Amino acid sequence: MNQKNNLIIGLIIAGVVVMSVNVDADPRDFAEGLPNIGIMLQEITEVDSSLFVTAFWSMLETIEMAFIGTVVGVAISLPLSLLAARNLNNKFVYVPIRALLAAIRTFPSILWAILFVIIVGLGPFAGVLAIIMYTVGFIAKLQYEAIEAIDADPMDAVGAIGVSKLQLIRFVVLPESASHLLSQILYIFDYNIRQTSILGLVGAGGIGFYIINYIKFFEYGKAAVFMLVVLATVLIIEWVSVRVRDKYIVKSQRGMQVKS
Amino acid sequence: MQEQKGSSSSSISTLSIVQMNNVSASYDSKDYVLKNIKMSITRGTNYAIVGQSGSGKSTLLKLINGMMNPSQGKIMVDYKIPNTSDKKFKPFMHKIGYIPQNLGLIKNSTVLENVLIGALPRVSGFNSFFKKFSDLEIDNAKKILKQVGLQGKAERQVYMLSGGEKRRVAIARALVQKPEIILADEIVSELDHVTAREIMDILAEAQATTKLTAIMVHHDLQLALEYADRVAVIKEGEKILEIGVEGDKIVDFQSGNYTQREILEMFSNESEE
Ligand SMILES: Nc1ncnc2c1ncn2[C@@H]1O[C@H](COP(=O)(O)OP(=O)(O)OP(=O)(O)O)[C@@H](O)[C@H]1O
Ligand SMILES: [Mg+2]
Repeated sequence: MNQKNNLIIGLIIAGVVVMSVNVDADPRDFAEGLPNIGIMLQEITEVDSSLFVTAFWSMLETIEMAFIGTVVGVAISLPLSLLAARNLNNKFVYVPIRALLAAIRTFPSILWAILFVIIVGLGPFAGVLAIIMYTVGFIAKLQYEAIEAIDADPMDAVGAIGVSKLQLIRFVVLPESASHLLSQILYIFDYNIRQTSILGLVGAGGIGFYIINYIKFFEYGKAAVFMLVVLATVLIIEWVSVRVRDKYIVKSQRGMQVKS
Repeated sequence: MQEQKGSSSSSISTLSIVQMNNVSASYDSKDYVLKNIKMSITRGTNYAIVGQSGSGKSTLLKLINGMMNPSQGKIMVDYKIPNTSDKKFKPFMHKIGYIPQNLGLIKNSTVLENVLIGALPRVSGFNSFFKKFSDLEIDNAKKILKQVGLQGKAERQVYMLSGGEKRRVAIARALVQKPEIILADEIVSELDHVTAREIMDILAEAQATTKLTAIMVHHDLQLALEYADRVAVIKEGEKILEIGVEGDKIVDFQSGNYTQREILEMFSNESEE
């Protein structure tokens, strides 16, 4: 048994080495390239400070794109997740919806962005559409899983009254899963801001457009300024969402733990 | 025809609200959880079900409200076959207040919202989507909250309540349904004697003013005999006794007469097993 484990670990390590050679991943290149960071940092100090203003506005555009994409994506995914939940529907409803969602999820957002650039042309709108698609595929799945995980007791007790399915959703499903749904929405917004930051690479708007262009023209200092702005923004959003989570979600989840 | 305490000498049509003829039930088609149950529950009575853990008491309630269907035999509830997935039974589902063993409250909603759920069958889809209830319904819900001793707690989140208060919410939700039957599964079992009696009194009072039938699973035979007109004793899925107090004696309506002591001893031996 142990012998076998060692063999497997040895094979994995050998695999990593062989594949690294194959993809040209040489640690020595990394070591030699490390001083380039210093050059880049030095270049940042030489950048005109007005560039920060440009970076700020393009970051704002990125956040707006992520916000629209998240809100619209969540608005679409909520009804879909209600249809995909096995505890609310029969299989003729949930199977096709789940298949659709799985199909949507096969594309990463950057591929959606390329597709929408082809359809609606270059610019932020293509990026927004890409974020919507990604959000729907991803959030609807998380949401139907949260809905399926809710306590069967209130569902049974209220279902036995003979209320309509919409009433059941409104009075049981939504309140019982609200804290999960909210925490997922915060998470995907956070994630969408990072994603939107790179959609500019394929011309779908946002701050990534600047980053890729500066890199093309070897203006690493300028590119680094934009990357720093992304970093700062993500940290701020992270901080805000932790606060929101603590205030609203943790509290209500503690409530859910109080079993009757 | 059996004669029962609490039933008026009315016509046949109001006599028995729940009728079971040789009912057997199972979850996974292998073993019967309930075997050959015969039961007739008179409208307006307080009917108790007692028995050891796992004897099939909760299953019996689920058969009555149609969440489960018998594998054999026939159940009639208000002259209809109970089945929650049958549209024809739906109007009567509105009239059954079912309180499951762990109450089934919405923990992140307020007391009032939980209680108003009982009124949903009377609210249009559009209004219920916006949680909009008529003043009449809200007044009625508040009146019932007062009746169960929860005045001033309407806006409290349910997860903040004590165990006894949660049970009152569940009863209030059932009463808001304007029910003909209340099915309550061990709702006073975990409470102290004083609180348990307070809650039983609330139901007894509700029964005194309406033609409500209460079918309650109990843990405590003493308490069951004190409040119920009839007590069915279930053992391993079979109904072995159906007893009631008459004067200072306990009578078994199924097979003959017993003295109080004998039955209580029989039962306490069972629970010790
Ligand atoms: N959903 C289920 N699936 C399979 N078996 C079940 C299910 N629910 C109950 N049972 C079984 O049916 C039998 C009767 O269960 P039931 O819940 O009716 O007992 P009970 O008398 O209410 O017990 P307790 O006093 O512990 O609540 C038990 O053996 C239990 O294991
Ligand atoms: Mg039970």
